[in-house]
Amino acid sequence: MRPALILLLVLGSDPFQLPAPAPITVSAAVSLTDALTAAAGEYAGGGRGAIRFNFAASNVLARQIVNGAPVDLFISADEAQMDVVGQAGLIQEGSRVDLLSNQLAVVVPNDRPRTFGSIKDLADPAFRRIAIGDPAAVPAGVYAKQYLEKEGLWQAVASRIVPAGSVRAALTAAESGAVDAAIVYRTDARVALKATVAWVVPTDRGPRIVYPAAIVKASAHLTETQRFLDFLRGASAARVFERAGFTVIPTAPR
Amino acid sequence: MMGAWQIAWFTVACAAGATILMLPAGVLIAWLLARRNFPGRSIVETLVSLPLVMPPVATGLLLLVLLSRRGALGGMLERLGIEIVFTWKAVVIAMAIMGLPLLVRTARAGFEQVNSRYERVAATLGAPPSRIFFTISLPLAWPSVLAGAVLGFARALGEFGATIIVAGSIPGETRTLAVAIYSYTETGQDAQAIRLVLVSVVIAFVALWSANRLVERRAA
Repeated sequence: MRPALILLLVLGSDPFQLPAPAPITVSAAVSLTDALTAAAGEYAGGGRGAIRFNFAASNVLARQIVNGAPVDLFISADEAQMDVVGQAGLIQEGSRVDLLSNQLAVVVPNDRPRTFGSIKDLADPAFRRIAIGDPAAVPAGVYAKQYLEKEGLWQAVASRIVPAGSVRAALTAAESGAVDAAIVYRTDARVALKATVAWVVPTDRGPRIVYPAAIVKASAHLTETQRFLDFLRGASAARVFERAGFTVIPTAPR
Repeated sequence: MMGAWQIAWFTVACAAGATILMLPAGVLIAWLLARRNFPGRSIVETLVSLPLVMPPVATGLLLLVLLSRRGALGGMLERLGIEIVFTWKAVVIAMAIMGLPLLVRTARAGFEQVNSRYERVAATLGAPPSRIFFTISLPLAWPSVLAGAVLGFARALGEFGATIIVAGSIPGETRTLAVAIYSYTETGQDAQAIRLVLVSVVIAFVALWSANRLVERRAA
């Protein structure tokens, strides 16, 4: 009798009880951490429901989804990782859109600030270790390698590359002074506290960086997720993204 | 891609280096804890065991803060031209810190089991503490010290959390078995990951089998 009563009390006062509507789970590229959290704050502030985020390198997120992780919305930092999920047949038909664009930037620890005249400065022997996302799959690393190859610099710096698990890990390596430079997104450089920008890759020289978003087919909250995705493509979210340094892609669904 | 056996060899070499690094300090601390009463003894005891209980990633972060160019020790080392973070030295240090508690706890139990009368008798006969340690305490506690070293080595072989933070995952430079398996899995290179898993199984099997054989031979 007694234990049953206590159990009832405990269950009845569950502090983690979920409010209606149920929160949707969004797996998003780690470079979106700050901007998406701010956007979701506005969304939830308007009483439209809570968002749970899972931030990591897009390749990690894609693998989680392919292996059955219960995710409602996936926002990748490149098309390749979205294609991984798409080819597994896990994307809700017609929900994929190109949401945002970004640029690459070279950052250096802020106790050794530098400004590049061109990207060729990266070949300077003073840069003994250069962190980028793991070019085997982490989008920021894939982009960085593409860019360095296009500039004919990859061979010169390949032996100095420190592959990081995500773009934010590369940024952290530069902030701690463990590496002499890191190639990250311009938006990451903006939130850096202990690293400064040495070079922003011009849009006409750098790779085309696209953040696609798509609803995961297995989602149990299709309507709510579509509502959040629509919000992300709306004007108030656009202001948040632009403030963070992203370029909003205004296109029709593909 | 670096060969699987090269990664295995690198990992074993680093773990062996870590064991050599932790042995003198570990044995001394174990002996002090077993035999001496000194101020701050319980603090030392707790500090040494900390890496056993803390998340390895937290230990790695502390090491990074300490050893990076901007850290307290790292700044000094940099002026001496010594680089630790993101080099094989960081791998060895991370492994040694993570293995140390196992060595100290096991060796300490061994020193405690040595009959202290032998040590006292030697002291009354005029032997200095260092001679007592090397001719009586250490030889009698040797099986436990060896067992502790094997445990520490085994822990070092599998170290992941602290290593990836302070040494990173640089192919051919700091990529150990555990870190390589993680990196390959993360980047979708499953075939390479599985190959390394098989290599780890072989190494673990050989290590355990020879450790058991050693114990059997001792018992016989």
